[in-house]
Amino acid sequence: MQTSTGLRSDIRALAAIFSKGLKHHLRYPGEFLLFLLLPFLFTFLILGMGTAVAGANAASYFAIRTGTTNIVIYEILGGAVWMISWLVVEDVGTAIRDEQIKGTLEQNFLAPVRRFTLLVGLSLTDVVITSLLFLVVVGVSVAVVMPGSILTIIPAFLALLLGLIPLFGIGFLFAGFVVRFKEPYIFTQIVSLVFATLTGTYYPVTFLPYWIQLLSGALPQTYVIEDMRRIVIANQTLVNLYGSLFVLLALALVYPVLGYAVFRRIERRAGVTGEFSKY
Amino acid sequence: MNSRNINYPARLLEEFKASFLKDLRSYVRYPAWMVGEFISTPLWFFFFALGVTLFAPVASQPANGNGLSTGMGYFFFGFVFIILFSTSVWGVGQSVRNEQEAGTLEQFFLAPANRATLILGRWARIFLTDSLIIAYTTVLLYYLGGAVVSVLNPVMFLLGLGLYEVSLIGFGLFMAGLTMRIKAYNSIGNLIFFGYMILTGALFPISVLPRPVLDFAMLLPFTYLNDIMRHAALGTPLILPETLEYVVAILAAVGLMVFGFVAFNRIEHDARVRGSIATS
Repeated sequence: MQTSTGLRSDIRALAAIFSKGLKHHLRYPGEFLLFLLLPFLFTFLILGMGTAVAGANAASYFAIRTGTTNIVIYEILGGAVWMISWLVVEDVGTAIRDEQIKGTLEQNFLAPVRRFTLLVGLSLTDVVITSLLFLVVVGVSVAVVMPGSILTIIPAFLALLLGLIPLFGIGFLFAGFVVRFKEPYIFTQIVSLVFATLTGTYYPVTFLPYWIQLLSGALPQTYVIEDMRRIVIANQTLVNLYGSLFVLLALALVYPVLGYAVFRRIERRAGVTGEFSKY
Repeated sequence: MNSRNINYPARLLEEFKASFLKDLRSYVRYPAWMVGEFISTPLWFFFFALGVTLFAPVASQPANGNGLSTGMGYFFFGFVFIILFSTSVWGVGQSVRNEQEAGTLEQFFLAPANRATLILGRWARIFLTDSLIIAYTTVLLYYLGGAVVSVLNPVMFLLGLGLYEVSLIGFGLFMAGLTMRIKAYNSIGNLIFFGYMILTGALFPISVLPRPVLDFAMLLPFTYLNDIMRHAALGTPLILPETLEYVVAILAAVGLMVFGFVAFNRIEHDARVRGSIATS
């Protein structure tokens, strides 16, 4: 008789969830293509608007405020992290709701698989998808604009991987809220926009009022974007950035625990109130 | 027969009213969407506005003493154009898809009502809510940044807006027809939407575009509609001589309306013949 607990069964379940998620992404390539194109599109828009505002002096005004004239890479790095965070929030956060709408949630929850394994499985698919997004968007941009710094994308990628852990925690938190409040798509859009605004996607967070900067400091994307810019544009190493990496590590502990705890609480409540069957 | 003709406009008005009220009811039935739209739309604006501020001259002074610098004014009206344009792609165009998904398209098409009223009713509802969102963002802009949005020539701006809305209805009808024809409407809609943002001078002057792209941008009707409205609002230079540009804008608006109606009717007829009205 096969056991439904233990490491081996967890790994099997993880592999199955991972493979299912990957199939879903492969079946709808248009969605992924959009995530690939948007950072380029938004960077182009900001560049175009900036040029319209400042004309030939656009780059110098930009440099005064950001310390670099490398507008494309500065904006692309922010845009890529934004899209990655959007994808994670949408995938992990709305997956439960999607299963609910398709009528497969009950089967999944009745399967002898722990909820944590289910959520981690969803996250594993996103590690692959977001890595691909990073390599295409950031890799191609750095290769074209500053080919001499192409190797800097490796430590930048490591910073991203560390930042993904708390981001998945936020995804768990979000998954719980979606079970409770429904309407995942508008919720995703608002949360992603708030994240983009708070984390310095297209500007330094110091541009924001002080009290908003406090909120920015609680979001992992703020550190990932800043670290990536320092690594790729200012040629800093991960060792130089130990302070923000330490904060990312702390967030990597806090968010998954908090997110899972909130998810479990809402899920248990939903089991009692029959929330799962409500649309 | 005569009385039927006399009553026809009144009947169309009734149909339009019913369609508008139906869409409004459906809109307010989903408060999360409603609140979300009112939060996310200005957020898009402020987010990009902050990004653009990086490029502004360091000691930037407001133009015309209206509190809104010329660059930010350009951007603000671009934001307005984008909201309005989204009406035709995601509002009017999507109306047929929504009925398809709800399984009510056949009932609607079987009813003794004009097809266009469904679409016009939805357009009117979206125009109303878009106007509220734009007004609310303008007020927010004032309270958060002290910037007052003003229009230099309100009469010409309203004329431009009228032409723009006529074009949007025409283009929206075409997009609505497209939903009966293609499955990947979202992807096409996104492409058109992003193409509009880049190619029609909505957010920045088309002179920024490289040569072959600029030539293509000059062929797009929305380029001139955006241009005359922005000229009326901010006094920015026009692409063509003034009279010629207004003639081009009027022709573009009328042309798009006619094109939209013809395309929608043709596609609908085709879909009826092929039996694909509710299956695309």
